[in-house]
Amino acid sequence: MGQLNLKKVQKFYGTYEVLKGVELEVRNGEFVVFVGPSGCGKSTLLRMIAGLDETTAGDIVIEGKRVNDLPPVKRGIAMVFQSYALYPHMTVFENIAFPLRVEKMPEEKLKAKVEHAARILHLDQRLQQKPGMLSGGQRQRVAIGRAIVREPKIFLFDEPLSNLDAALRADMRIELAKLHRQLKATMIYVTHDQVEAMTMADRIVVLNAGEIAQTGAPLELYHKPANTFVAGFIGNPKMNFLPVTCKSVSDAGVEVEYKGQTAIIPVMPRGGMAGATLTLGVRPEHIQIGSGDLTLAVTPSVIERLGAHTVAYASLGGEGENYCAMLPGTAAIRADEEVRTGIRAADCHLFDRNGIAFERRVEMTDIDMALFDPAAA
Amino acid sequence: MSQPALINRYRWYELVGIYAGIFVFLSFILAPFVEGFLVSLKPLSLLFSSPYRFWPENGSFAAYRTMWVSVPGFARYIFNSFFISIIVTTVVLALVVPAAYAFARFRFRGSGALLAAFLAVNMFSGAVLLIPLFRLMRSFGVLNTYFAMIVPGVAFLIPSAIWLLRTYMMRIPRELDEAAFVDGASHFYTLRRVILPIAMPGITVVAITTFIGSYAQQFIFALTFNSKTEYMPLPVGLFAYFGRQEVVWNELMAASFVGIAPAVIVIFFLQRYLVSGLTAGAVKQ
Repeated sequence: MGQLNLKKVQKFYGTYEVLKGVELEVRNGEFVVFVGPSGCGKSTLLRMIAGLDETTAGDIVIEGKRVNDLPPVKRGIAMVFQSYALYPHMTVFENIAFPLRVEKMPEEKLKAKVEHAARILHLDQRLQQKPGMLSGGQRQRVAIGRAIVREPKIFLFDEPLSNLDAALRADMRIELAKLHRQLKATMIYVTHDQVEAMTMADRIVVLNAGEIAQTGAPLELYHKPANTFVAGFIGNPKMNFLPVTCKSVSDAGVEVEYKGQTAIIPVMPRGGMAGATLTLGVRPEHIQIGSGDLTLAVTPSVIERLGAHTVAYASLGGEGENYCAMLPGTAAIRADEEVRTGIRAADCHLFDRNGIAFERRVEMTDIDMALFDPAAA
Repeated sequence: MSQPALINRYRWYELVGIYAGIFVFLSFILAPFVEGFLVSLKPLSLLFSSPYRFWPENGSFAAYRTMWVSVPGFARYIFNSFFISIIVTTVVLALVVPAAYAFARFRFRGSGALLAAFLAVNMFSGAVLLIPLFRLMRSFGVLNTYFAMIVPGVAFLIPSAIWLLRTYMMRIPRELDEAAFVDGASHFYTLRRVILPIAMPGITVVAITTFIGSYAQQFIFALTFNSKTEYMPLPVGLFAYFGRQEVVWNELMAASFVGIAPAVIVIFFLQRYLVSGLTAGAVKQ
């Protein structure tokens, strides 16, 4: 019921191109998260889907119907704002009932719907209170309630949790995921927080400077980032990038050299790369103490002990590139004392000069149970 | 005794200074009122006695009774003033609320120029425009009517009211309009159900300033555009106490106090709507 197509959607503010021809298909019932750094156009894209911002060029199609010139209600969308946007002079009941009042729905039906929504969101005890008396999480639930009473085809969330404190955010994340399963509605969610994106999304759309950098399931983005931007954006702490030289290309992968050491990275080979400068990516959590296919001796300058993990920050020689390793919580390391760290070739990512990844030889079905199709087995 | 927060703590000489300052300015502002009130209590003979006595001897409220007798139309003047101000305030609010909303929310060509023009109009005092206005009124044949005093009053009060209310409405988060729009509400519905209730304190301020402004500016319009005694407002009515031989000062003062009473009562009721914090909980600040 809630299927969305974006066809070459562009947006200009004056001569500044905010969105550069976005192509996207969102399937019915999908939870899609737009994620990206601030200014990448994710909120603008959401507001265009909502009908709050005009589309400069391209089509927005909902269920096969072009909706560019339709007001939000006629598009069948509902939106939850970052700032909640509750009506402060109305009770929780009236806030949730607002869209139905606009429709002039008969009182009994309206009451039943509002109460149903309030039950889903655990607001039944608060219906007669005003927003000013509620906590942040409750206010956000009222805002969501106002969206769900209308039973829209598509829900749009504009960074709905960014105003909440960390603990509440984690709770609301779980509630939203539950809500999505309960309503089985299409949801599009904008955030700059990759944890929200990774935990809630069926599919993540990573936006960078007005373009889609990559679209894929959370673990796909983590294990097979298409370019250095996605590789650096998904994952915390950030992926380490090392400049390497390509020695040779074989069926086994690409052999690279880093400061005299060589390793064969198991990626889909591409011809004509010998001698080229490539970028080797390795996630901090894939670095271990001791030796590996590549071994780096580093002197960490800062060590953060988080209990479960120890994060060590070091500098790699003169190029100013920082090197970060996430080690076990009990790792026997000290600041300003040299330590040998090892990297396994199988954990590495490899990118060409333009930052485009060589495809890793990783079967996604081995990693993510959700992608494992029992019918096909 | 609980200590106030550090930022609110003063030394004794600072406190003395603050209260001395308050006393000086308050007495400057209030002295005429006190004097006026005391005069209204004194018999006329005492007013011209020498040496002048500030405190009334054998003071009485007699002037408050005799004033109705010496100027029989006085109740009518009060009513006229009140009536004109109420109509002016109502009309101004009816025009200014949608206008301020439009200026606060819509982007349209010339909105800046229009606002500047409103401000420019305010720089002309009504007195400068009296003669053109008089000719205009005469051509329309509306001299010597309530209309002649109400319409210019409205026109001169609209600009400042728009500026005041626009500023207030701009402080209401735009997300509220957007949320209502997404929920299918029209601009008019949004204005009525969302913006108006939240803007109530702002509207009250505009209502009070407009009412006071209208009360104050009647004098000049009434004097020029109206010659009928039965339409005269209070400020002109007070002239009736200026007799040929003498000015009945005590009754004049009593009449002044009685005359402003309705305005004070209206403002007293309006200020109940001046509650702050109406937008609490609307958006995360």
